Amino acid sequence: MNKQQFLIDAGLEVQTLELWVEQRWLIPDETAHEISFSDTDVARAHLIRDLKGDFGVNDEGIDVILHLVDQLHGLRRAFEQLHKDIASPPR
Amino acid sequence: MRNPYEVLGVAPTASAADIQKAYRKLAKKLHPDLNPGDKAAEDKFKEVAAANDLLSDADRRKRFDAGEIDADGTERPQHRYYRDFATAGEGHPYADSSGYADYMDQDDAFAELLRRSEQARANRRGRDLHYSLAVDFSESIAGASKRLTLPDGGTLDVTIPPGLVDGQVIRLRGKGMPGSGKGGPGDALIEGEVRPDPRFAREGDDISLELPISLSEAVLGGKVNVPTPTGAVTMTVPKGSNTGTTLRLRGKGAPKVGGGHGDEFVKLKVVLPKGPDPALEAFVSNWDRKGFNPRDDGAS
Repeated sequence: MNKQQFLIDAGLEVQTLELWVEQRWLIPDETAHEISFSDTDVARAHLIRDLKGDFGVNDEGIDVILHLVDQLHGLRRAFEQLHKDIASPPR
Repeated sequence: MRNPYEVLGVAPTASAADIQKAYRKLAKKLHPDLNPGDKAAEDKFKEVAAANDLLSDADRRKRFDAGEIDADGTERPQHRYYRDFATAGEGHPYADSSGYADYMDQDDAFAELLRRSEQARANRRGRDLHYSLAVDFSESIAGASKRLTLPDGGTLDVTIPPGLVDGQVIRLRGKGMPGSGKGGPGDALIEGEVRPDPRFAREGDDISLELPISLSEAVLGGKVNVPTPTGAVTMTVPKGSNTGTTLRLRGKGAPKVGGGHGDEFVKLKVVLPKGPDPALEAFVSNWDRKGFNPRDDGAS
């Protein structure tokens, strides 16, 4: 989706988005001419909004949480793949 | 829904600050994205969030306390949580294997399995890169070689195919972002923007041009130079040509798909010399063709 649609779906102001992209909290697909966002980016923006707004986490805290959440998902992915491989081992 | 005070675990007399504190405490524990493996977290979190939405709104809390509204209908609109994408999605930029990288370095069957699944994910094709390139009209017809300077300072040599139309995309395989592992690089996609030429207009494979000629060339005929996208050519203007007379230069248009070329259509336009010309005036006064009226279509 384009930037405009993303801002609507994620409920963000454009300045906030720029800040979050700068912090690498969001990593949209950027080329020389356009920037596009995925559903994953929308869901991640919702998470950051919850953390900042509802939970009162400050910017440093967001960095730490996102890094840990990303590692946790990395682990879950690896775990899932292992689970599949054990159920039907690759030749 | 359960009583929102019970859900948050606060007394009905609790202050707004107490309610926020209680909500944050529960929400931090229950947020689905902080509990990716707990399927029940989402429902529990929703209940807590709805209770907070009701009680943190002073006006609605008052009406609830007065028995005017109940706790139902306060559910938040459904949205998908990050956890629904983060684990399943292949190739999103947030994937991070540093949580188990040390296990992959080991020398056993478990590490082998991890490495293999990592590799499967790692072999991704690079992204395509999009550029645009301005092309002169004549280059768009005849084709050209151009060098594109990239934002990062690098260059790309682009061959403009003859007959390129405005907006046509040229794909350079493998010139996009590098892939990872065996994924191979993406492509560079270059959109050609044809700069219009005030002399020429293109219609399909044909091009047209308006060519000014003098009165004597129109009356007596003669050879004139005509610009084409591939350089000037000599064309014979037949005797007695007029403004609007269209001549065809075969094969001087854009290349056709499947071979051959379109034509260039040259529309003549008789142009008188600028300013007063006593000689021409004297000649025309003497030249008197009785009965010629160009506005007379013969109907009267």
